[in-house]
Amino acid sequence: MKSILTGIMAALGLFAGVATTIAQTPDTIAQIKQRGTIVVGVKNDYKPWGFLDPSGKIVGMEIDLVDEIAKKLGVKVELIPVTAANRMEFLNQGRTDLVIATMGDTEARRKVVGMIEPNYYAGATNVLAPKSANLKKWEDLKDRKVCAVQGAYYNRRVTQLYQPELIVFPAVPDALNALIGGNCIAFLFDDTLIVSTLAGGDQKWAGYEMPLTSEDPQLWAIGVRLTDLDAPFGKLIKEMSVDWHKSGKLLELEKKWGIKSSPYLVEQNKKLSGS
Amino acid sequence: MQPVAEFFRWLADAHGINLTIFYDSVDRSRFLTGLFTTIWLSIVCIFLSILIGLTGALIQGAHSPIPRAAVRSFVQFFRNTPPLVQLAFFYFAVSALLPMVTDRHGVKVPLIDNVGWAIISFSLFAGAFNVEIFRSGIEAVPKSTIEAAEALGYTRVKAYLYIIMPLAFRVCLPALGNNLVNLVKTTTLAYAIGVPELLYAAAQIWSEVLNVREMMWVLLFTYIIIVAVLVFVMHRWERALRIPGYSA
Amino acid sequence: MRTLSGTTDLPVLLPRRMPSATEWGAADGARFFGSRTWLFLLLAMSALSVAAQASDAPARAGIVETVWKWMPLISSGFLFNLLVSAASMVLGTALGVLLGLGQISLHPSVRKASWTLTQFFRNAPWLVLLFFAMFLLPFELRIGGLVIPLPAWLKAIIGLSLPVMGNVAEIVRGGIRSIPTGQWESAESLAFSRMQILWQIIIPQAVKRMIPPWMNLYAILTMATTLISVVGIQDAMTLTRGALVAEARTDLYLPLYFMLLLMFFAYCYPIARLTLMLERRFAVNA
Repeated sequence: MKSILTGIMAALGLFAGVATTIAQTPDTIAQIKQRGTIVVGVKNDYKPWGFLDPSGKIVGMEIDLVDEIAKKLGVKVELIPVTAANRMEFLNQGRTDLVIATMGDTEARRKVVGMIEPNYYAGATNVLAPKSANLKKWEDLKDRKVCAVQGAYYNRRVTQLYQPELIVFPAVPDALNALIGGNCIAFLFDDTLIVSTLAGGDQKWAGYEMPLTSEDPQLWAIGVRLTDLDAPFGKLIKEMSVDWHKSGKLLELEKKWGIKSSPYLVEQNKKLSGS
Repeated sequence: MQPVAEFFRWLADAHGINLTIFYDSVDRSRFLTGLFTTIWLSIVCIFLSILIGLTGALIQGAHSPIPRAAVRSFVQFFRNTPPLVQLAFFYFAVSALLPMVTDRHGVKVPLIDNVGWAIISFSLFAGAFNVEIFRSGIEAVPKSTIEAAEALGYTRVKAYLYIIMPLAFRVCLPALGNNLVNLVKTTTLAYAIGVPELLYAAAQIWSEVLNVREMMWVLLFTYIIIVAVLVFVMHRWERALRIPGYSA
Repeated sequence: MRTLSGTTDLPVLLPRRMPSATEWGAADGARFFGSRTWLFLLLAMSALSVAAQASDAPARAGIVETVWKWMPLISSGFLFNLLVSAASMVLGTALGVLLGLGQISLHPSVRKASWTLTQFFRNAPWLVLLFFAMFLLPFELRIGGLVIPLPAWLKAIIGLSLPVMGNVAEIVRGGIRSIPTGQWESAESLAFSRMQILWQIIIPQAVKRMIPPWMNLYAILTMATTLISVVGIQDAMTLTRGALVAEARTDLYLPLYFMLLLMFFAYCYPIARLTLMLERRFAVNA
């Protein structure tokens, strides 16, 4: 028995050894400049922050921010599409230098990645539901089937507060298909994306609405590795972020991409440009 | 329980090995629910798939060619298409064809939910394999035995139930065991339609607590243990039913 | 126990040839398969599409045209599935052969480690192993000064090759074990070395018996490539899903998913038949 156990340990140890190579990153700015490109994790399914245009290129408000950073560093851009479930892993593994992917700034995540302040946006939680579902308040969700997407920070909070029967799918299209097919009465998601989906004027969403009051405002942050947060790279991004608020760049981009004006950005602009 | 929780909390703080399922009550109940769902789903599907296999094998012995061809088509189609697509086909497509029922909120909801479709889909998938397994077992029953049963006035169904299957089943057990192990492994696909089984629970936990590495090992070992238990049970059953002197 | 007196030449049970020892068994039922199956499938499909039409009476653009419109895109995704299956099979077979040979090694520690790895990768669910590779492999490997990038699709190929490795190892071990030990002994008495016996006598015979289960495994792998859609890689399944969101019509769910099923069937079923043919040709009458 003992020798079998040793065998198991030896065999698995071998495998784990291969699997746990973590890249070291001493000076990120120098590394980016030497490479000539900055690698950034972005969304490609989140209109209008990061999405595919008909030619297959990733565009959006967050991509404009990436371009600003690349211009400052004088390097080219490489965009890597990420999901809520893998964006922090990619960053910490060193596959990306930076992540700008509608990432909510939470306490738990701050232990894993460096969150750049000031935050560049704020979103909140709501649901997309057919008008026939007749939802009025969050409590109406109790014991009803609600679709959601794996990795979203609000899944846990909404489950604990309102006790819906959450059906969590691996990706957004699955959840949308389930909603259209009537497999759930609502789709729990960021209000910003729901607003832009409904505002698209697409015929297929005509029978749908965002019936609840948005809850749990969440700041979005650009993520860097924890080792970079107080290093030159993190400081540079922080300075740029302050600048975007001060100069009204973020308000301008918001308008450019047709996003409903967010009170958070207006307030930050006033606060920072006043001082 | 307290010292165990303390130990894992210490492990997380001191060594970064964060196994929340041992000290966080929400994560623990999620994990246990997932484990329970996987086991429950497996048992129901094992039972139904054996039933489908027995019925299919019985029909394959029929004289009329049409039901035989229908069973053959079913078997070949389910064996040669991806179970994940079958699952999506049932959950998204077939579900939309069925009549809707009105729930207590007055909203129309589908007749069968995601758990129901997972059971149907996996049972049919594994059942298709079971039909073949049982049929090959039946072939091992000598013609003379069946003729003897007929001579004693057994009807075809009765002979199948009381004479043929008890013999054939013993021969099938090793292959059946293999198939059932695969069925248990296939239940992980239910993750794709949001059934809260083990993989789903683990994914929920690691996307919140960000302990992918730890949860991945927990997941792999839990499945290996479940499979080991099933293999053990099947071996015991095989031994108990063994016909002395007969080896396939 | 008292034995019955008298004898009979009637057996209780006939010796049964087990389906190959791989997952799902060999496709031994295929021999009964006639053109009728296709007829049934076509009938079933038309019945289902009629039902789909009826369920959503005011159908907009014709279902057939819409399916046709998405066909090229989904086919290109299917082609990607096939590429992934080929790559995983090559990688998994190479690793699996090593692991299988490790199981008949003369060193007990090598034998035990190989056995453990084989059992581990054979019995863990494919989807979990895929997640395992996607999340736990680094984004690049540094071997000395050499940096090998590991993009997501490559990780997926590695992830799928892990269970293939375990199953191939089992096929190799089973194939070698199926050659009677008398062959080893007589070769030894002719002063062949262990390596010579293995490569010149045992393996050439065993390979014939390994090919059918190996092909069966390939068909299973091809079907399993759809799992990569769950971990976020664009394949035929992802594209079908995307097409359905773009159209947002419930009457399309059935025809599009059925088309996807048929694509896999058209590829995997001939493999199953070929497997059976080879199995019968290589069968050794005991």
